Amino acid sequence: MPVWQELREELKHKNFEVITVGCDVKGAAAEEQWIRAANPTHPSLIDERHLVPELYNTRNVPTTVWINEDGQIVRFDEGIYLRRRNRETGEFTVTERYLNALRDWAAKGSASGYVLSAEEAQARLRQPATEDAQATVHFRLGAYLVQQGHAAEAVAHFKQAHALKPENWNMKRQAFNLGNPEQDYGTTMQQETQIRPSYVPLDMPALPEA
Amino acid sequence: MPEFPATVIYDEKPISVTRPQTTGDDLWLTLEDLAAATGFEIKPEGVCRDDVCVAIPSGRADAFLRSAGGEMRFNLAEFARYLEQPVAHDATHSVWLFGEPPSAWQGRLNSLIAPDFTLPDLGGNLHTLSQFRGTKVALACWASW
Repeated sequence: MPVWQELREELKHKNFEVITVGCDVKGAAAEEQWIRAANPTHPSLIDERHLVPELYNTRNVPTTVWINEDGQIVRFDEGIYLRRRNRETGEFTVTERYLNALRDWAAKGSASGYVLSAEEAQARLRQPATEDAQATVHFRLGAYLVQQGHAAEAVAHFKQAHALKPENWNMKRQAFNLGNPEQDYGTTMQQETQIRPSYVPLDMPALPEA
Repeated sequence: MPEFPATVIYDEKPISVTRPQTTGDDLWLTLEDLAAATGFEIKPEGVCRDDVCVAIPSGRADAFLRSAGGEMRFNLAEFARYLEQPVAHDATHSVWLFGEPPSAWQGRLNSLIAPDFTLPDLGGNLHTLSQFRGTKVALACWASW
Protein backbone atom coordinates (compact mmCIF):
# COMPACT_ATOMS: atom_id res chain seq x y z
CA MET A 1 0.00 0.00 0.00
CA PRO A 2 2.57 2.68 0.91
CA VAL A 3 4.62 1.70 -2.15
CA TRP A 4 1.61 2.07 -4.42
CA GLN A 5 1.00 5.53 -2.98
CA GLU A 6 4.62 6.58 -3.63
CA LEU A 7 4.52 5.20 -7.15
CA ARG A 8 1.23 6.95 -7.83
CA GLU A 9 2.63 10.31 -6.75
CA GLU A 10 5.72 9.74 -8.87
CA LEU A 11 3.78 8.80 -12.02
CA LYS A 12 0.50 10.70 -11.74
CA HIS A 13 1.60 13.23 -14.38
CA LYS A 14 2.09 10.42 -16.89
CA ASN A 15 -1.58 9.63 -17.33
CA PHE A 16 -1.28 6.86 -14.78
CA GLU A 17 -3.47 5.96 -11.82
CA VAL A 18 -3.38 3.33 -9.13
CA ILE A 19 -6.56 1.71 -7.83
CA THR A 20 -6.12 -0.53 -4.83
CA VAL A 21 -8.86 -2.96 -3.79
CA GLY A 22 -8.82 -4.48 -0.33
CA CYS A 23 -10.64 -7.81 -0.23
CA ASP A 24 -11.85 -8.67 3.23
CA VAL A 25 -15.15 -10.06 4.45
CA LYS A 26 -14.68 -7.85 7.52
CA GLY A 27 -14.51 -4.80 5.27
CA ALA A 28 -13.40 -1.43 6.60
CA ALA A 29 -12.98 -2.79 10.13
CA ALA A 30 -10.09 -4.95 8.91
CA GLU A 31 -8.67 -2.55 6.34
CA GLU A 32 -8.95 0.90 7.84
CA GLN A 33 -5.67 0.91 9.75
CA TRP A 34 -3.71 -0.14 6.65
CA ILE A 35 -5.43 2.39 4.40
CA ARG A 36 -4.97 5.24 6.90
CA ALA A 37 -1.29 4.36 7.31
CA ALA A 38 -0.74 4.53 3.54
CA ASN A 39 -2.83 7.72 3.31
CA PRO A 40 -3.61 7.14 -0.37
CA THR A 41 -4.47 9.91 -2.83
CA HIS A 42 -5.57 7.25 -5.34
CA PRO A 43 -8.86 5.34 -5.05
CA SER A 44 -8.47 2.79 -2.28
CA LEU A 45 -11.54 0.60 -2.40
CA ILE A 46 -13.16 -1.86 -0.02
CA ASP A 47 -14.43 -5.14 -1.44
CA GLU A 48 -16.25 -7.08 1.29
CA ARG A 49 -17.52 -9.78 -0.97
CA HIS A 50 -14.45 -10.30 -3.17
CA LEU A 51 -16.17 -8.91 -6.25
CA VAL A 52 -12.96 -7.99 -8.10
CA PRO A 53 -11.39 -11.47 -7.69
CA GLU A 54 -14.69 -12.90 -8.92
CA LEU A 55 -14.88 -10.65 -12.00
CA TYR A 56 -11.20 -11.09 -12.92
CA ASN A 57 -11.03 -14.73 -11.81
CA THR A 58 -7.84 -14.10 -9.87
CA ARG A 59 -6.81 -16.60 -7.24
CA ASN A 60 -4.64 -14.90 -4.66
CA VAL A 61 -3.50 -11.57 -3.31
CA PRO A 62 -1.57 -9.46 -3.82
CA THR A 63 -2.19 -9.32 -7.53
CA THR A 64 -1.91 -6.62 -10.14
CA VAL A 65 -3.69 -6.09 -13.46
CA TRP A 66 -2.53 -3.45 -15.94
CA ILE A 67 -5.38 -1.73 -17.81
CA ASN A 68 -4.63 0.64 -20.68
CA GLU A 69 -6.34 3.89 -21.72
CA ASP A 70 -8.91 1.94 -23.75
CA GLY A 71 -9.91 -0.20 -20.77
CA GLN A 72 -8.03 -3.24 -22.09
CA ILE A 73 -5.98 -5.61 -19.99
CA VAL A 74 -2.30 -5.52 -21.02
CA ARG A 75 -0.79 -7.51 -18.13
CA PHE A 76 -2.71 -9.86 -15.89
CA ASP A 77 -2.69 -11.30 -12.41
CA GLU A 78 0.87 -10.89 -11.20
CA GLY A 79 1.35 -11.76 -7.54
CA ILE A 80 4.08 -9.37 -6.55
CA TYR A 81 4.69 -8.12 -3.05
CA LEU A 82 5.99 -4.62 -3.77
CA ARG A 83 7.51 -4.44 -0.34
CA ARG A 84 8.53 -7.39 1.79
CA ARG A 85 9.79 -7.49 5.31
CA ASN A 86 12.68 -9.80 6.07
CA ARG A 87 11.55 -11.86 9.07
CA GLU A 88 15.03 -12.07 10.58
CA THR A 89 16.40 -8.59 10.04
CA GLY A 90 13.10 -6.69 9.99
CA GLU A 91 14.30 -4.80 6.93
CA PHE A 92 12.03 -3.97 4.06
CA THR A 93 12.99 -4.68 0.48
CA VAL A 94 11.13 -3.20 -2.46
CA THR A 95 10.58 -5.11 -5.67
CA GLU A 96 12.23 -2.50 -7.91
CA ARG A 97 12.05 -4.73 -10.94
CA TYR A 98 8.26 -4.61 -10.97
CA LEU A 99 8.12 -0.90 -10.14
CA ASN A 100 10.51 -0.20 -13.01
CA ALA A 101 8.26 -2.13 -15.36
CA LEU A 102 5.33 0.03 -14.27
CA ARG A 103 7.46 3.19 -14.73
CA ASP A 104 8.36 2.04 -18.23
CA TRP A 105 4.69 1.50 -19.07
CA ALA A 106 3.66 4.87 -17.60
CA ALA A 107 6.30 6.58 -19.76
CA LYS A 108 5.90 4.70 -23.01
CA GLY A 109 2.33 3.40 -22.95
CA SER A 110 1.60 0.80 -25.61
CA ALA A 111 5.21 1.09 -26.86
CA SER A 112 6.49 -0.33 -23.56
CA GLY A 113 8.11 -3.74 -23.92
CA TYR A 114 6.11 -4.86 -20.88
CA VAL A 115 2.79 -4.50 -22.67
CA LEU A 116 1.72 -7.97 -23.76
CA SER A 117 0.45 -8.58 -27.26
CA ALA A 118 -3.30 -9.17 -27.48
CA GLU A 119 -2.67 -12.89 -27.97
CA GLU A 120 -0.32 -13.17 -24.98
CA ALA A 121 -2.64 -11.19 -22.73
CA GLN A 122 -5.68 -13.21 -23.78
CA ALA A 123 -3.81 -16.45 -23.12
CA ARG A 124 -3.21 -15.36 -19.52
CA LEU A 125 -6.88 -14.62 -18.78
CA ARG A 126 -8.93 -17.40 -17.20
CA GLN A 127 -12.48 -17.45 -18.47
CA PRO A 128 -14.97 -18.39 -15.78
CA ALA A 129 -16.40 -21.91 -15.73
CA THR A 130 -19.48 -23.35 -14.06
CA GLU A 131 -17.39 -24.33 -11.00
CA ASP A 132 -16.30 -20.72 -10.55
CA ALA A 133 -19.92 -19.54 -10.47
CA GLN A 134 -20.85 -22.35 -8.07
CA ALA A 135 -17.89 -21.73 -5.77
CA THR A 136 -18.74 -18.04 -5.73
CA VAL A 137 -22.26 -18.54 -4.34
CA HIS A 138 -20.97 -20.78 -1.55
CA PHE A 139 -18.20 -18.34 -0.72
CA ARG A 140 -20.62 -15.40 -0.75
CA LEU A 141 -23.07 -17.25 1.50
CA GLY A 142 -20.21 -18.02 3.92
CA ALA A 143 -19.20 -14.36 3.86
CA TYR A 144 -22.77 -13.26 4.50
CA LEU A 145 -23.10 -15.61 7.48
CA VAL A 146 -19.83 -14.31 8.96
CA GLN A 147 -21.09 -10.75 8.58
CA GLN A 148 -24.31 -11.76 10.38
CA GLY A 149 -22.28 -13.21 13.27
CA HIS A 150 -22.63 -16.86 12.27
CA ALA A 151 -18.98 -17.76 11.64
CA ALA A 152 -19.42 -21.39 12.73
CA GLU A 153 -22.14 -22.05 10.17
CA ALA A 154 -20.08 -20.34 7.46
CA VAL A 155 -17.45 -23.09 7.57
CA ALA A 156 -19.56 -25.66 5.69
CA HIS A 157 -20.17 -23.21 2.85
CA PHE A 158 -16.53 -22.15 2.63
CA LYS A 159 -15.61 -25.84 2.46
CA GLN A 160 -17.90 -26.31 -0.51
CA ALA A 161 -16.27 -23.35 -2.23
CA HIS A 162 -12.81 -24.81 -1.55
CA ALA A 163 -13.84 -28.22 -2.89
CA LEU A 164 -15.13 -26.65 -6.10
CA LYS A 165 -12.07 -24.41 -6.62
CA PRO A 166 -9.11 -25.92 -4.73
CA GLU A 167 -6.69 -23.59 -6.54
CA ASN A 168 -8.46 -20.46 -5.31
CA TRP A 169 -6.28 -19.11 -2.50
CA ASN A 170 -8.46 -16.05 -1.92
CA MET A 171 -11.32 -18.24 -0.76
CA LYS A 172 -9.03 -20.43 1.34
CA ARG A 173 -6.90 -17.77 3.00
CA GLN A 174 -9.93 -15.62 3.78
CA ALA A 175 -11.82 -18.54 5.35
CA PHE A 176 -8.77 -19.70 7.32
CA ASN A 177 -8.32 -16.16 8.63
CA LEU A 178 -11.92 -16.03 9.86
CA GLY A 179 -11.61 -19.25 11.82
CA ASN A 180 -9.14 -21.89 12.88
CA PRO A 181 -7.77 -23.74 9.82
CA GLU A 182 -6.86 -26.92 11.70
CA GLN A 183 -10.07 -27.16 13.72
CA ASP A 184 -12.46 -25.98 11.04
CA TYR A 185 -10.83 -27.27 7.86
CA GLY A 186 -8.41 -29.96 9.04
CA THR A 187 -5.49 -28.31 7.31
CA THR A 188 -3.00 -25.45 7.53
CA MET A 189 -1.65 -22.98 5.00
CA GLN A 190 1.68 -24.79 5.19
CA GLN A 191 0.07 -28.09 4.24
CA GLU A 192 -1.92 -26.43 1.50
CA THR A 193 1.09 -24.75 -0.09
CA GLN A 194 2.85 -28.11 -0.18
CA ILE A 195 0.01 -29.51 -2.28
CA ARG A 196 0.00 -26.69 -4.82
CA PRO A 197 1.96 -23.46 -5.29
CA SER A 198 0.21 -20.33 -4.09
CA TYR A 199 1.84 -17.96 -6.59
CA VAL A 200 2.61 -18.27 -10.26
CA PRO A 201 6.22 -17.19 -10.98
CA LEU A 202 6.49 -13.80 -12.66
CA ASP A 203 6.64 -14.19 -16.44
CA MET A 204 8.10 -10.83 -17.41
CA PRO A 205 11.00 -9.97 -19.70
CA ALA A 206 14.15 -8.42 -18.20
CA LEU A 207 14.29 -5.26 -20.29
CA PRO A 208 16.81 -2.43 -20.06
CA GLU A 209 15.52 0.09 -17.53
CA ALA A 210 13.52 3.08 -18.71
CA MET B 1 -47.28 -26.51 5.19
CA PRO B 2 -45.14 -24.64 7.76
CA GLU B 3 -43.87 -21.18 6.97
CA PHE B 4 -40.65 -19.75 8.41
CA PRO B 5 -39.13 -16.37 7.61
CA ALA B 6 -36.08 -16.59 5.36
CA THR B 7 -33.51 -14.33 3.77
CA VAL B 8 -33.24 -14.32 0.00
CA ILE B 9 -30.12 -12.79 -1.56
CA TYR B 10 -30.88 -12.12 -5.21
CA ASP B 11 -28.90 -9.56 -7.22
CA GLU B 12 -26.67 -8.97 -4.16
CA LYS B 13 -29.40 -7.57 -1.88
CA PRO B 14 -30.49 -9.56 1.20
CA ILE B 15 -34.28 -9.35 1.54
CA SER B 16 -36.38 -10.88 4.30
CA VAL B 17 -39.27 -12.92 3.04
CA THR B 18 -41.93 -13.53 5.63
CA ARG B 19 -43.89 -16.56 4.48
CA PRO B 20 -41.88 -18.95 2.33
CA GLN B 21 -42.57 -22.68 2.20
CA THR B 22 -39.41 -24.74 1.97
CA THR B 23 -39.25 -28.39 0.99
CA GLY B 24 -35.84 -29.85 0.27
CA ASP B 25 -34.36 -27.87 -2.58
CA ASP B 26 -37.55 -25.95 -3.30
CA LEU B 27 -38.42 -22.46 -2.15
CA TRP B 28 -42.04 -21.49 -2.65
CA LEU B 29 -42.61 -17.75 -2.27
CA THR B 30 -45.84 -15.81 -2.20
CA LEU B 31 -46.03 -13.53 -5.22
CA GLU B 32 -45.68 -10.59 -2.86
CA ASP B 33 -42.44 -11.98 -1.44
CA LEU B 34 -41.24 -12.86 -4.95
CA ALA B 35 -41.67 -9.28 -6.10
CA ALA B 36 -39.99 -7.89 -2.96
CA ALA B 37 -36.98 -10.21 -3.19
CA THR B 38 -36.41 -10.34 -6.94
CA GLY B 39 -38.63 -7.83 -8.74
CA PHE B 40 -40.22 -10.66 -10.73
CA GLU B 41 -43.96 -10.78 -11.35
CA ILE B 42 -46.13 -13.51 -12.81
CA LYS B 43 -47.91 -12.41 -15.98
CA PRO B 44 -49.77 -14.32 -18.70
CA GLU B 45 -46.58 -14.31 -20.82
CA GLY B 46 -44.42 -15.75 -18.05
CA VAL B 47 -42.15 -14.60 -15.23
CA CYS B 48 -41.41 -10.95 -15.90
CA ARG B 49 -39.07 -8.25 -14.71
CA ASP B 50 -38.64 -4.87 -16.39
CA ASP B 51 -39.28 -5.60 -20.08
CA VAL B 52 -38.11 -9.19 -20.02
CA CYS B 53 -40.32 -12.24 -19.54
CA VAL B 54 -39.25 -15.86 -19.17
CA ALA B 55 -41.90 -18.27 -20.40
CA ILE B 56 -42.61 -21.14 -18.04
CA PRO B 57 -41.76 -24.35 -19.93
CA SER B 58 -44.89 -25.98 -21.25
CA GLY B 59 -46.06 -29.01 -19.34
CA ARG B 60 -43.95 -28.08 -16.29
CA ALA B 61 -46.09 -25.33 -14.79
CA ASP B 62 -46.67 -27.42 -11.65
CA ALA B 63 -42.96 -27.28 -10.78
CA PHE B 64 -43.04 -23.47 -10.86
CA LEU B 65 -46.48 -22.43 -9.70
CA ARG B 66 -48.96 -23.80 -7.24
CA SER B 67 -52.00 -22.62 -5.43
CA ALA B 68 -52.47 -23.46 -1.77
CA GLY B 69 -55.37 -22.18 0.28
CA GLY B 70 -56.36 -19.91 -2.58
CA GLU B 71 -52.92 -18.30 -2.61
CA MET B 72 -50.53 -18.54 -5.57
CA ARG B 73 -46.87 -19.37 -4.92
CA PHE B 74 -43.79 -19.47 -7.13
CA ASN B 75 -40.83 -21.84 -6.75
CA LEU B 76 -37.81 -19.55 -7.01
CA ALA B 77 -35.35 -22.45 -6.61
CA GLU B 78 -36.86 -24.30 -9.59
CA PHE B 79 -36.68 -21.10 -11.60
CA ALA B 80 -32.96 -20.82 -10.73
CA ARG B 81 -32.37 -24.41 -11.84
CA TYR B 82 -34.17 -23.63 -15.10
CA LEU B 83 -31.96 -20.54 -15.67
CA GLU B 84 -28.87 -22.51 -14.52
CA GLN B 85 -28.24 -20.06 -11.71
CA PRO B 86 -26.10 -21.56 -8.94
CA VAL B 87 -27.80 -21.49 -5.53
CA ALA B 88 -26.37 -21.83 -2.04
CA HIS B 89 -28.69 -22.52 0.88
CA ASP B 90 -28.09 -22.46 4.61
CA ALA B 91 -30.85 -24.39 6.36
CA THR B 92 -29.83 -23.37 9.90
CA HIS B 93 -30.33 -19.66 9.29
CA SER B 94 -32.75 -19.97 6.35
CA VAL B 95 -30.63 -18.06 3.87
CA TRP B 96 -30.87 -18.61 0.12
CA LEU B 97 -28.26 -17.00 -2.09
CA PHE B 98 -28.82 -16.94 -5.84
CA GLY B 99 -25.86 -16.44 -8.18
CA GLU B 100 -25.69 -15.24 -11.71
CA PRO B 101 -26.98 -17.25 -14.69
CA PRO B 102 -24.35 -18.27 -17.27
CA SER B 103 -25.52 -15.47 -19.58
CA ALA B 104 -24.09 -12.99 -17.05
CA TRP B 105 -20.58 -14.45 -16.90
CA GLN B 106 -20.03 -16.61 -19.98
CA GLY B 107 -18.59 -13.83 -22.13
CA ARG B 108 -16.43 -12.46 -19.30
CA LEU B 109 -12.71 -12.38 -20.10
CA ASN B 110 -13.41 -13.66 -23.62
CA SER B 111 -11.91 -10.35 -24.67
CA LEU B 112 -9.29 -8.08 -23.10
CA ILE B 113 -11.91 -5.58 -21.89
CA ALA B 114 -11.38 -5.16 -18.15
CA PRO B 115 -14.61 -6.11 -16.32
CA ASP B 116 -16.18 -2.99 -14.85
CA PHE B 117 -17.07 -2.60 -11.17
CA THR B 118 -18.12 0.00 -8.65
CA LEU B 119 -16.88 -0.14 -5.05
CA PRO B 120 -16.76 2.26 -2.10
CA ASP B 121 -13.71 3.78 -0.45
CA LEU B 122 -13.31 4.24 3.31
CA GLY B 123 -15.50 7.37 3.21
CA GLY B 124 -18.29 5.55 1.36
CA ASN B 125 -17.63 7.34 -1.93
CA LEU B 126 -18.23 5.08 -4.91
CA HIS B 127 -15.61 4.63 -7.63
CA THR B 128 -16.17 2.96 -11.00
CA LEU B 129 -13.31 1.53 -13.02
CA SER B 130 -14.69 2.70 -16.37
CA GLN B 131 -14.50 6.32 -15.16
CA PHE B 132 -10.75 5.97 -15.64
CA ARG B 133 -10.92 5.39 -19.40
CA GLY B 134 -8.18 7.46 -21.01
CA THR B 135 -5.79 6.73 -18.14
CA LYS B 136 -3.44 3.81 -17.57
CA VAL B 137 -4.58 1.99 -14.44
CA ALA B 138 -2.64 -0.36 -12.19
CA LEU B 139 -5.39 -2.33 -10.44
CA ALA B 140 -3.91 -3.86 -7.32
CA CYS B 141 -5.77 -6.27 -5.04
CA TRP B 142 -4.54 -6.77 -1.50
CA ALA B 143 -5.84 -8.15 1.78
CA SER B 144 -5.00 -7.88 5.44
CA TRP B 145 -5.27 -11.65 5.95
